[in-house]
Amino acid sequence: MSRAMPEPGENTHRTEPDPRVTGAIRYAQDVELPDMLYACIVRSPYAHARVLRVDTSSLPADVVALTPDDVRALGLYGCQIKDQQVLAVERALYIGDPVAAVAAASPRAAREAAELIEVDYEELPAVFDAVEAMQPGAPLLHEDLAISDNDAAYFGMRPEPQRNVCHHFRIRHGDIEQGFAEADVIVEETYRTPSAQHVPMEPHACLARWTADGRLEVWTGTQTPFNLRMDLAGIFGLPQERIRIIAPPMGGAFGSKTFVRYEAIVACLARKAGRPVKLVLRRDEEWLTLNRHPSTIHVKLGARRDGTLVAKQVTCWANTGAYADCGPGVAQKMGFASPGPYRIPHVWVDSYCVYTNLPSNGAFRGYGATQAVWASERTMDLLAERLGLDPLELRLKNVLVDGDRYCTGEVMHDVHFADCLKAVAGQIGWHEGRRGKGLAVLLKGMQTPSRASIVVEANDDGSYTVHCATAEMGQGAWRAIRMLAAEQLGVPVERVHFPVPDTDIVPYDTRTTSSRSTYMMGRALVEAVRQLKENGELGYGECVNEGGLDPDTGQGIASTHWHQGAAAAEVRVDEETGKLEVVHLHTAIYAGRVVNPPAAQLQNEGSMIMGLGSALFEEITFAEGQVTNANLSDYNIPAADDLPRITYDLIERPGAEIHGLGETALPPVPAAIGNALFSLGIHVRDLPLTPERVLEASERRRVRSAAPV
Amino acid sequence: MARPIPAWLAPTSLEEALELRARYGEEATVVAGGTFVGILINQGLLQPAALLTLRQIAELAYLRVEDASASGKPLLRIGAMTTHRALERSPLVQRGWPVLASTFALVASPRVRNQATVGGVLADADYASDPPALLHALGASVVARSPQGQRLISVEELIVGHYETSLRPDELLTEIQVPGGIEGAVYRKFRSRSSEDRPCVAVAAVRREGRLRVTVGAVAERPQYFPEICALAEGQAGIDAELAREIGERYAAAIEPLSDARGSAHYRRRVIAVEVRRALEDLHQQIIATGGGSQRHV
Repeated sequence: MSRAMPEPGENTHRTEPDPRVTGAIRYAQDVELPDMLYACIVRSPYAHARVLRVDTSSLPADVVALTPDDVRALGLYGCQIKDQQVLAVERALYIGDPVAAVAAASPRAAREAAELIEVDYEELPAVFDAVEAMQPGAPLLHEDLAISDNDAAYFGMRPEPQRNVCHHFRIRHGDIEQGFAEADVIVEETYRTPSAQHVPMEPHACLARWTADGRLEVWTGTQTPFNLRMDLAGIFGLPQERIRIIAPPMGGAFGSKTFVRYEAIVACLARKAGRPVKLVLRRDEEWLTLNRHPSTIHVKLGARRDGTLVAKQVTCWANTGAYADCGPGVAQKMGFASPGPYRIPHVWVDSYCVYTNLPSNGAFRGYGATQAVWASERTMDLLAERLGLDPLELRLKNVLVDGDRYCTGEVMHDVHFADCLKAVAGQIGWHEGRRGKGLAVLLKGMQTPSRASIVVEANDDGSYTVHCATAEMGQGAWRAIRMLAAEQLGVPVERVHFPVPDTDIVPYDTRTTSSRSTYMMGRALVEAVRQLKENGELGYGECVNEGGLDPDTGQGIASTHWHQGAAAAEVRVDEETGKLEVVHLHTAIYAGRVVNPPAAQLQNEGSMIMGLGSALFEEITFAEGQVTNANLSDYNIPAADDLPRITYDLIERPGAEIHGLGETALPPVPAAIGNALFSLGIHVRDLPLTPERVLEASERRRVRSAAPV
Repeated sequence: MARPIPAWLAPTSLEEALELRARYGEEATVVAGGTFVGILINQGLLQPAALLTLRQIAELAYLRVEDASASGKPLLRIGAMTTHRALERSPLVQRGWPVLASTFALVASPRVRNQATVGGVLADADYASDPPALLHALGASVVARSPQGQRLISVEELIVGHYETSLRPDELLTEIQVPGGIEGAVYRKFRSRSSEDRPCVAVAAVRREGRLRVTVGAVAERPQYFPEICALAEGQAGIDAELAREIGERYAAAIEPLSDARGSAHYRRRVIAVEVRRALEDLHQQIIATGGGSQRHV
């Protein structure tokens, strides 16, 4: 390899001005078209209400309004279950549910016009907790549920609308009763995690226009351009090729900019106005758009006296809010992550995705694994304490190794859980004393099945263009793919161009989620470059991963590629106030091969910091369905001064394939911190670990230890 | 139909500002740094007919020390439009009133402190802000001006409730006066969430001329001060561990704490006892270290 060529991983950030810093980058919210109007959404003030009348008669003549009557005849949508209309036509299902929208000449005029729309409601009983929503007599949100034909519905749905369940995922592995009968020790606990906000720096932004020949064009900050195109085609009854999605870079997404968000409303307004219409959300509206699933998880774990795991039963209630969105997928991943990366002969999992009258919950960095790991890994430490075993030794004794079968029946390859655990234990000084220290390990699936395809084109000037649907949301995916292409083409990275993805031009890709893009596109790219080198002009490559689980037994292929990581934390507690200080946080994740070290490091640090926020204080609070902290003063995210010493290993192996690393380090962080607290005898079941909860738990410990044995 | 855009009143002199204030009264919301008013307007909680900004009145941003108080002790005069950041970084303040500089440095983040003003934070009377409890404990006063003249109001009398002050609709808060002669002063900010969050419990403890003044902030609608409890320290050279504990427990019993996202009333009561005690322990250490009369507090 010649020295002129950029090494993947070379710190090119220092030689090329970053367009995010110079302001040259044009985000989704910066896109403008001549004559465009600005949209504003009218939202329900009730958690559950019949929409009786929407009166737009006070609006000025130059304002375009969209009401339920305009969208009644349009198709239902939903990436996994078709349970949503463009507006709440019959019933509003959460505080913030769009019931109407306006388009006006300025954002301010739109805001003021929205206030002039009068809506009459008949309030209905509402339910906010997932466990309560499944009880007989709870208000029902959706009477019938059509399964989506979208390719996101890659697994069989098992909805039970009569008890607000939009999907019930099961794992049936071995004989659970026999398993617990064989156990010498059984530990059991119930855990809760709250809703959280993604807080991307750039809010949701989209712009739509209809061309003279009746095509719909949408510029939107989206991680899922092809899913969006399919859903919009269904809503408007158009062939997919009549819709064009252009996906500019985003100022952060973390799962929030997936599937249909406001694109359908803006497209309807644009069609009615005969002009382009743009929407940029206010910050507080982010909390009404998509959040993380609150969860309740019950774990029962049985083991032999020597620590060998024999049986595990888990029940997950994932609160998906008013509409399913990708909640069934989240509940499924929560379900198959909850046994943890261990050999357990008898496993029984029920994971329910449950409707409630909260804003929709969907994809969120970690995708169900954060909740599952919290419950699963905290329980491992309960077991270790009961057996008098070292929590690290207990894990190493049971952790999956190459060739083991997971509880889904699939044989595991390229397994590095033990390496990750040993690395974090070493870095945290585990063997020098375990007081105040805790660790946790994670297994997380990648979107399976899925398909990625890419075209590489040689330009006349000797440069190359990559046509690829991968979304850039600050994670550096475009740069990583350019660097991989440059390496294979033997040119400097500056000679490889990556235009903004446009579904009219780029070949199909499932979506930019589940840390799959560098891995999947990297593989597709190899074939594309090989073809191009043959014909000198153009190459096409694709990468397909096949699999899926039987929803009634959880058997099959959960993931063709596993994300593997571990975290360790060292904490100090102010025993008088319960205030928890994280002194040191270390993660080790299996990366296989790192393409762009500075970007990979930043992404991993970001994951750890996001995990720290979830551990310590991030929580959306509600009062009867109303978000009470929809701003960045009342909703805290970690600030620079909140960070402990942060260190990590990105584990590479010579010749190994690329492993996605966008979210691996997040899920084990709260559990490692919770286990560090537990090493001090403080057992907190619910996140976040507020001083108040810690103090209460530390007092329970005192009472317990004072009690006669 | 459209909501009128609030009139933007931007006087360049105090005289002009007082005239506008008197003319508009409660119709106009006074804007200093804008960090509080901006949030209220964005959240739709405030829809004023007019905004009266003091940003262009250069004569309201100053820090001066005068030897003019009745006791002959120095007096720090802070112009109402002085930013938190200016106070925090002022060598004058760092030397003479170090507790003021260090406390203002704890407020929110540098972005906020570059904007928020000392007059603004007092006039907002937000229970969860840091400075009111400290300024209360320091025995600070504010100058309230109107076209009719001016009056001096102690911080204790200024803040009367939730976002409520004793300022009249024709008055502007123009200056904050902090007396010197401090023998020891401590501010403890207990945060239950992010380091940039507001306090869950704030404790200011000050000793001046042998008298102790403990003010607890962020736990009730206004700063909490109990002179009869502080009197337990009367005539003592320092504050021993037992006395610190007793004062902490008495404060915890005397205060009716509120509940919010940063902590329940029950939890706050627990923390008040701990943090008041710790503040007094810190204060004791400070007094011992300086031999009873602080070198650093003029």
